Amino acid sequence: MSRIVVVTSGKGGVGKTTTSAAFATGLALKGYKTAVIDFDVGLRNLDLIMGCERRVVYDFINVISGEANIKQALIKDKRSDNLFILPASQTRDKDALTQEGVEKVLKDLAEDGFDFIICDSPAGIERGAALAMHFADDAIIVTNPEVSSVRDSDRILGLLQSRTLKAERGESIREHLLITRYSPTRVASGDMLAMEDILEILAVPLIGVIPESGSVLQASNSGVPVILDKESTAGQAYDDFVRRFLGETVPHRFLEVEKKGLFRRLFGG
Amino acid sequence: MESIIDLKGEMSLLTVLVLHSTDMHAISAALEAKRQQASHFLERSPIIIDCQLLGETGLELDFLQLKLQVSKFGLVPVGLRNLWEEAEAKAIAADWALLRPSKQQTIPNTPPVTEVNLTPEQPEAIQRLLVLDRPVRSGQQVYCPYGDIVVLQHTSAGSELLAGGSVHVYGALRGRVLAGVQGDTQARIFCERLEAELIAIAGRYRLLDEIESNLKGQSVMIYLDQEKLKIVPI
Ligand SMILES: Nc1ncnc2c1ncn2[C@@H]1O[C@H](COP(=O)(O)OP(=O)(O)OP(=O)(O)O)[C@@H](O)[C@H]1O
Ligand SMILES: [Mg+2]
Repeated sequence: MSRIVVVTSGKGGVGKTTTSAAFATGLALKGYKTAVIDFDVGLRNLDLIMGCERRVVYDFINVISGEANIKQALIKDKRSDNLFILPASQTRDKDALTQEGVEKVLKDLAEDGFDFIICDSPAGIERGAALAMHFADDAIIVTNPEVSSVRDSDRILGLLQSRTLKAERGESIREHLLITRYSPTRVASGDMLAMEDILEILAVPLIGVIPESGSVLQASNSGVPVILDKESTAGQAYDDFVRRFLGETVPHRFLEVEKKGLFRRLFGG
Repeated sequence: MESIIDLKGEMSLLTVLVLHSTDMHAISAALEAKRQQASHFLERSPIIIDCQLLGETGLELDFLQLKLQVSKFGLVPVGLRNLWEEAEAKAIAADWALLRPSKQQTIPNTPPVTEVNLTPEQPEAIQRLLVLDRPVRSGQQVYCPYGDIVVLQHTSAGSELLAGGSVHVYGALRGRVLAGVQGDTQARIFCERLEAELIAIAGRYRLLDEIESNLKGQSVMIYLDQEKLKIVPI
């Protein structure tokens, strides 16, 4: 049985695709056969962040409409034999994404023996987002420390509880809150919501806090998921997150304003 | 002139605005005309927008504008009902609450009927108590027309509870809450932390801004004393 995990947020640009790429890579490196699907039909971002954009032949929509089978469309990752990417279509209409089609693709992947299927949701609450979450067992709710993002996450939590297959069956999706782009300095100055405030509003178990970090943009520009950048705080925080997801107890890091030592103050850090 | 909207008092307190058109200018003009007839009638009234007559054309509604227009005339928008299903996502995106139609009503795909037939529900179908063990989230609406609502967690800003009877929230109450929506003046609201956007019992309203600041964040009971909403710490 595959475990299906949706990475979702409501609000756009909060770090879903960054998270999906890091998450899938982390799971694969820990030995799990993992597929990551880009549900953002029309935009196609995941393949860029995963660095496989030049190897895209068939996409998610091709598989749904029967123009290719799942084996033809999956792109094997360069860095891990356990990791496969199913890119979104850049040209096709969003309406090509159907519930039956999504269900079939997920079933095919399960039969192929995937341990985890990560669904990178588009922003918003319309069709693409609804389908990305529909079959999920778990949801990673990606939230930035600002009011509008938190409100949208709350809205998404409501939909997870009411509009998904699990909800229809009277079961519930496991919810995990991932706070990204967290800047302790800006929290201290009052520009951003503190972790505690977000938890208070959303009341969902926290699975990780990813700090704001320049290495995220660098990583995505070079097509290497940031979790592979072991030097960066974001990479380390993503690794902690993956371990927590797999059941380990790992303390949260990067929550306080870092006091720069003399050396780092002189030479930067 | 063909009428653009009907205003009908229903369930004694909630006013229902039945849309005949999706043309926002026409709706606005019709509301203005109603206001001139009876300005005090619209002031602060909670209102349900019924989209039954629109059928499929409900998709064309500009939901953000609708909310703005309705609020502009002093009405308090409660939610939409009988909206064409495919327009629901759009309505939710514009922050509208959706009232589920009662069992007897279905969304028409045949030419719309003019009168909504409100047959009384079967006695065994009446829910006296609705207990929720999960938070009520932004955009969610819980409606228990003839009974009490008990929430064992918090309710979020942007959520809504509507009960014919009383409402109990064992956590922070941050959304809107309307008790006694059928006119029961005995209905009460209890919560562990009062942060509600709007509270109402049997149609008498108060917004968060109008609540005494020393009561905000407190455990309180809210009830009607004659015509006045009373909030007391518990
Ligand atoms: N921890 C972080 N630190 C700094 N920048 C980040 C971080 N996480 C994400 N970003 C940046 O935020 C932007 C949006 O990220 P991403 O594409 O992952 O978001 P998304 O939620 O998938 O967006 P969309 O809703 O458009 O799909 C990117 O430019 C990315 O580099
Ligand atoms: Mg994305």
